[in-house]
Amino acid sequence: MATQTLTKPQQSQNVEQKIQQFRELFADAPELGKKALENALHELKSQASDLPPPVESAGRVGARLGKVSELTIIVPLAPGGAKRLRAFLRLLGGNLSQGADKVGTLHTMRFVFFDNDTRLLFATAFDGDWDAYIDDFVAKIPDYLDVIDSAWEGWPGIRSPGAKDYLIKHQITAEGWYVAYPDLTVAEIKRLQRIGKAVDEFLDKVGT
Amino acid sequence: MATQTPTRPEQDQSVEQKVQQVRKLYSDAPELAKKALENALPGLMSQAAEAQASQSEGAGRIGIRLGTISELTVIAPFAPGGAQRLRAILRLLHGNFSAGTKVGTLHNMRFVFLDNDTKFLFATAYDGQWDPYIEDFATKIPDEMDIIFSAFQGWPGIRSPKVKDWIVEHQIPAEGWFVAYPDLTVAETGRVKRVAKAVEEFLDKVGN
Repeated sequence: MATQTLTKPQQSQNVEQKIQQFRELFADAPELGKKALENALHELKSQASDLPPPVESAGRVGARLGKVSELTIIVPLAPGGAKRLRAFLRLLGGNLSQGADKVGTLHTMRFVFFDNDTRLLFATAFDGDWDAYIDDFVAKIPDYLDVIDSAWEGWPGIRSPGAKDYLIKHQITAEGWYVAYPDLTVAEIKRLQRIGKAVDEFLDKVGT
Repeated sequence: MATQTPTRPEQDQSVEQKVQQVRKLYSDAPELAKKALENALPGLMSQAAEAQASQSEGAGRIGIRLGTISELTVIAPFAPGGAQRLRAILRLLHGNFSAGTKVGTLHNMRFVFLDNDTKFLFATAYDGQWDPYIEDFATKIPDEMDIIFSAFQGWPGIRSPKVKDWIVEHQIPAEGWFVAYPDLTVAETGRVKRVAKAVEEFLDKVGN
């Protein structure tokens, strides 16, 4: 529920009040931050009153803009987990396409080791609602998931009833989210790509 | 240069040798992971062979790339008061950092607060090479960059000659990366979207 209230407390304030709050917060910012704020305030004002579509909740956890949601999970790695997972990812040349394409709703996905291989960041951009997305993973690539996630400390197994609770416990909702085409799902982008190609071919034929 | 070599050391090995290594590493993994690995192995073998042909590549100075789309993942400590300032800005914008559109090469971007507001994660998916991408940020939204990044310890300012070094120092290249449409830049997606719309309008006219 955290994400659904992201912006609520401030929504009743007017823009002027918010800008004032800002200036106060930036009073002890580094000089370059203060300067940049003054430069940008004009634009920020128009942005804040124009209200670009607000980031909403992706369901149980996570942020969503239009049709595209974010999932950001940070987990501690189990003993030996970093070594196993790294070997697995290298076997695939760092390219997770074959497995991930099967999910069908995944835009981007990354695995990043940090804090001396004791922690892992797993971050994705996906279509729609959290629960449906996790269910897709479970239904479509359960074995890949378990090969990967078993490197995570305490992972109960994707078929376990505790799997979603585990994910929620380690997911951190983004406070800021941007998507270039919030109205385009993966399926829609692929459809557009096919149309674009067909039109190119058509024009080639007409041209000759 | 670290990113260009993530898979190099293994390139001379055959897929069978790599699979053998992965199996060995998984011998002390939890039972569910071992089982999942054996289930996934037949598919993995062909994937690994393909991966040797289409593995992720370097994104330039740091980060990895698949087709035309690269990843940037930065984790940095907040400056004192920085977390509070950044959160206020993101909330003013209702979590939607729509200035990202001006960069023109940005697919998605997230801001995540970590470890009790002491650290920060900034992760993007973007088109092409690292250096021009950072330069795009610097020329197109310099003030927005300074407002946000002055929340971090040691940020030298987007106009500083040291800014790229700061980013490189805090960027961690991903070990695994997936993009659903690796050959579509942000600009190309916009183009096919327009083409598809024109086609629909055309078909509507032809239809009546």
